[in-house]
Amino acid sequence: MTRALLRHETIFAVILLAALALLASRSDRFFTLDNMLNQGRLMAEVGLVALPMTFVIITGGIDLSVGSTLGLVAILLGVLWHNVGLPLPLAMVLGVAAGGLAGLGNGFVITRFRVPPLIATLATLALYRGLAEGISQARSVRGYPEWFYVLGQGDAAGVPVQLWVFLAAALLAGFILTFTTFGRTTYAVGANEVAARFSGLHVDRAKLLIYTASGLVAGLAAVIFVSRVSTTRSDMGTGVELDAITAVVLGGTSIFGGRGTIVGTVLGLILIQVLKNGLALSGVKGDGTIVVIGAVLIASTLLSNLFRRDGNG
Amino acid sequence: MVWASTGRVARFLQGYGQEIVVAAAILVLFGVVDAVNPRFLAPVNLNTIFSGNAYIAVAAIGMSLVIICGHIDVSVGSLIGVLAVIAGTLAVKGYPVWVAWAVPVVAGVACNAAIGALIAYSRIPSIVVTLGMMSILRGGLISVTGGTWITNMPAGFFIAQMRLFGVPLPVYFMLVLTAITAFWMRSFTAARAIYAVGGNAEAARTTGFSPERTCIFVFALHGFFAGIAALLFATQLQVIQSTVPANLELTVITASVIGGVSILGGTGTVIGSTLAAILFGTISSSLIFLNVSAYWLRAVLGLMILATVLVDMARRRRSA
Amino acid sequence: MTAILELAHVSKSFAGVRALQDVSFDVQQGEVHALLGENGAGKSTLIRIMAGVHAPDSGEIRLAGAPVRFGSPRAAREAGIATVYQELLLFPELTVAENIFLGNEPKLAWGGIDWRTLRRQARALLDRLDSHDLDIDTNIASLSVANRQRVEIAKALSREARVLVMDEPTAALADADVRRLMDVVRRLRERGVGIVYVSHKLPEIFALADRVTVLRDGGYVGTIPIAQASEQSLVSMMVGRAIDRLFPKEIVPIGATVLELSHVGHLDEVHDISFALRAGEILGIAGLIGSGRTEVALTIFGITPATSGEIRLDGKPVTIASAAAARTLGIAYIPEDRGQQGLIRSQTIRENISLAVLDDLVDGLVINGGRETALAKKFIELLGVRTRGPEQLVRQLSGGNQQKVVLGKWLATKPRILIMDEPTRGIDVGAKAEIHALMSRLAGEGLAILMISSELPEVLGMSDRVLVMSEGRIVAEFDRAAATAEVVGAAMTGTRAAEVA
Repeated sequence: MTRALLRHETIFAVILLAALALLASRSDRFFTLDNMLNQGRLMAEVGLVALPMTFVIITGGIDLSVGSTLGLVAILLGVLWHNVGLPLPLAMVLGVAAGGLAGLGNGFVITRFRVPPLIATLATLALYRGLAEGISQARSVRGYPEWFYVLGQGDAAGVPVQLWVFLAAALLAGFILTFTTFGRTTYAVGANEVAARFSGLHVDRAKLLIYTASGLVAGLAAVIFVSRVSTTRSDMGTGVELDAITAVVLGGTSIFGGRGTIVGTVLGLILIQVLKNGLALSGVKGDGTIVVIGAVLIASTLLSNLFRRDGNG
Repeated sequence: MVWASTGRVARFLQGYGQEIVVAAAILVLFGVVDAVNPRFLAPVNLNTIFSGNAYIAVAAIGMSLVIICGHIDVSVGSLIGVLAVIAGTLAVKGYPVWVAWAVPVVAGVACNAAIGALIAYSRIPSIVVTLGMMSILRGGLISVTGGTWITNMPAGFFIAQMRLFGVPLPVYFMLVLTAITAFWMRSFTAARAIYAVGGNAEAARTTGFSPERTCIFVFALHGFFAGIAALLFATQLQVIQSTVPANLELTVITASVIGGVSILGGTGTVIGSTLAAILFGTISSSLIFLNVSAYWLRAVLGLMILATVLVDMARRRRSA
Repeated sequence: MTAILELAHVSKSFAGVRALQDVSFDVQQGEVHALLGENGAGKSTLIRIMAGVHAPDSGEIRLAGAPVRFGSPRAAREAGIATVYQELLLFPELTVAENIFLGNEPKLAWGGIDWRTLRRQARALLDRLDSHDLDIDTNIASLSVANRQRVEIAKALSREARVLVMDEPTAALADADVRRLMDVVRRLRERGVGIVYVSHKLPEIFALADRVTVLRDGGYVGTIPIAQASEQSLVSMMVGRAIDRLFPKEIVPIGATVLELSHVGHLDEVHDISFALRAGEILGIAGLIGSGRTEVALTIFGITPATSGEIRLDGKPVTIASAAAARTLGIAYIPEDRGQQGLIRSQTIRENISLAVLDDLVDGLVINGGRETALAKKFIELLGVRTRGPEQLVRQLSGGNQQKVVLGKWLATKPRILIMDEPTRGIDVGAKAEIHALMSRLAGEGLAILMISSELPEVLGMSDRVLVMSEGRIVAEFDRAAATAEVVGAAMTGTRAAEVA
């Protein structure tokens, strides 16, 4: 099994290198440090969300509500700071906590009421987005203090701040998934939930934590997003779930659960960002790239299915 | 005989419980809002509620079939956008009006049949395939049209603005298509197959139905309804926007679920989804007439779908 | 009289494992022909061949004397052979009437479904089965198992079945429902239907059957008219092997009471279970399918916590509300369904063995890979698992070796109480002996073992004491010396002999 995964990732790395080489040859603006770092900045929000999404999909679930949670937290941030008058740092913390609460709500519906993750998060996708729209009344909040923009638009040691945040999160996620009992539990739940339960693992508790983390990180991504675009709007985060799920599946995680790595997800994220950038530099407008992303999602699940049939009995 | 008729009434109540609840909600809302603001019942407003939302009801017919069969489709909003643009473009380019009407419907059937085949034979979950298709269609639409709106379509094209005996055509489409589909679902074995495959795919296979062929068939039907919905949507105004109404697919899915189609498959009727679509129109209009901000509409829908799902799960657990 | 359905010298193998060897079987019009045999005897395979699910590798199927090949279950159904499986194939969200006629609805002239006729016929079918109280408009989801079964039988009859195959029909039924079912079977027999009645339950077989055929280990043992059969003769035909086959059972000193159950019950599945288990003891639990043995195990193990009574560990009352809690208390469960409940087949031996003791293998937050591998290697050697190494995938191992991996996983938790549910099912003879030797050794080291088994020789050979369960209760207890095949077998089947006549 590890051998099969390594095979997938090696093929992947090769494809990635080929894509990089191709794009570099087509545009001399591509391989500049500036561009690379900027791409890193743009990738951070989806990247963060894709990390707990990896855990979610490995357990055999899915979280469609992350985009709506992002939008809701963005709005709450603005409202708490601007309308309620809380100090900005407190508003940030509460916003992220609200994201965690949203994720906990998902986890609760899934573990307590046994609603399938697809349906539960489809419902909360509507509910959370609806709350964002209702609370914001289509008004946007602007005019944050200067220091706030450092998070989304600043650099530290030459590298965008949010990229540091993403790297730290990715290392943490990778560590947890690969080396800890929680990671092992995640794989077990996805591979055979009944056997996991019969082995004394705390299956429901793990799921609850994973979905809460998904919401929490979406909240963090929201704060970064607001900081980057300097404003809050209720439609923020639309489509983030698609990008995140595509990155995870592209990276080798099986949609059926039981397999997957953070490294794979990061590679998937990079490939998607590279694709987007390459297409943009070739003159394709933003909307053309989502066509490609959609096609990549379907193609990578097809391929992953094929691998599954060949490798497994 | 008395007992026979009460038996029939009881059966009706049991089989159509959810639909009755939705219909009652519509009536209650009408009553309440009309009491507060009598202009609610003005013909213009009624037109908005029934005719303006007819395309959602029609799309929900197809979506209900898909969900009853055990699948889901989140790309229908994007598909309707694409088909609407196709219709408008053909009309502007001078093709006969009937061509501009027929081609989108055929295209809808073909596109969705292909999606259905992919889902059936590749065993990729329908959520993943339709999530990808949603992007492909949406991005493709904007890329091809470049964001420009379509105008200057010939007068005979605007099917949604025509009337028959004073009633807007979309209302007829909605009612007739719902009635025909509901009747078909009750009367033909091919339709029973949809319920069977959605309820217990393996048992359906043993009974002799093919889950794969049923899946393709259901998605093709869904494409047909999406095509008609696209026509109704495209011809409401004098222009066709090149963007899809936000979260149209979610509204359509919600209509099906609240109308009594269980998201787990195997049960539900199209009458419920049509009623639910009307209910949404009523709620949306009510919010305006009650001076409640329309921005709360999505939240209300989200709560309704969550509540419906929780009740459905609780009911299943109790009887299992 | 020609048989309606006849299977002549039929054999069938699956992936090299022989399920049926040269079995001949026939059903006459208007007879109830019982099919008897232990688990793994080949009954399921025979039924599936009759139902058209599998085709025999060799031998012939004859319908009313003419040879046939069933290409699919539908073909068999259309030939008049209806099957009611243990796992009912119904649609929960549809009504009784809809389920009975699904795919086979009566039609009106213009092609639409004739609901009036359908409902009338559904009502008539149910009335023929003496089910007047079953409403044709209720959803299957809200029906009891007994009623669902009636719907399945009605479904079979709706296609004018000539042969009705019933697989363990009373396994999940309460007494009153069993009697009603038997009335239905008698009624069908009078109408000329040939019924194949697969069951473990000897009292029912004696009450209903005209003939009985016994299978054992895939082979045909014999067919006798019921008048010439006795419980003893049937049991010995079923069990057949000499009980004197040696089991490596060592007599070990038995220690203090470790586990005690007092009037423990779980909902309406098991009632009033009381027994004591002592260190070094192997307590065997015998009983037929559906007698509640696994339910007792799952209650002790916390998957389905007790709803009444008390469980005491070393004399102190405990509440066991989850598998995790059971594990902490030193209770281990080797499940009946190895592949689904015991192992993660897509993972390695190492990952499986460490699954229940992950918290013990961590340094701070990280799982110590070295210790994990060492643990796996230790048990591979200790239990004699035949494998390339700890990194081999569990699904590539044979049944016996897989069972050893499950055992290793639980031994790693250093349990005091080991519950083994069908420990040697689906395992070849050599591995069986090894597992039995292991059990003896473990008992010798002070472990208390609760062994659930459907194989009488295993129960008799390995147990220090034998409990017999039937219908959710303990009905008998025997010491090793007093336990014989006849006495235990009779207790397993005996309760109903007086009631059913």
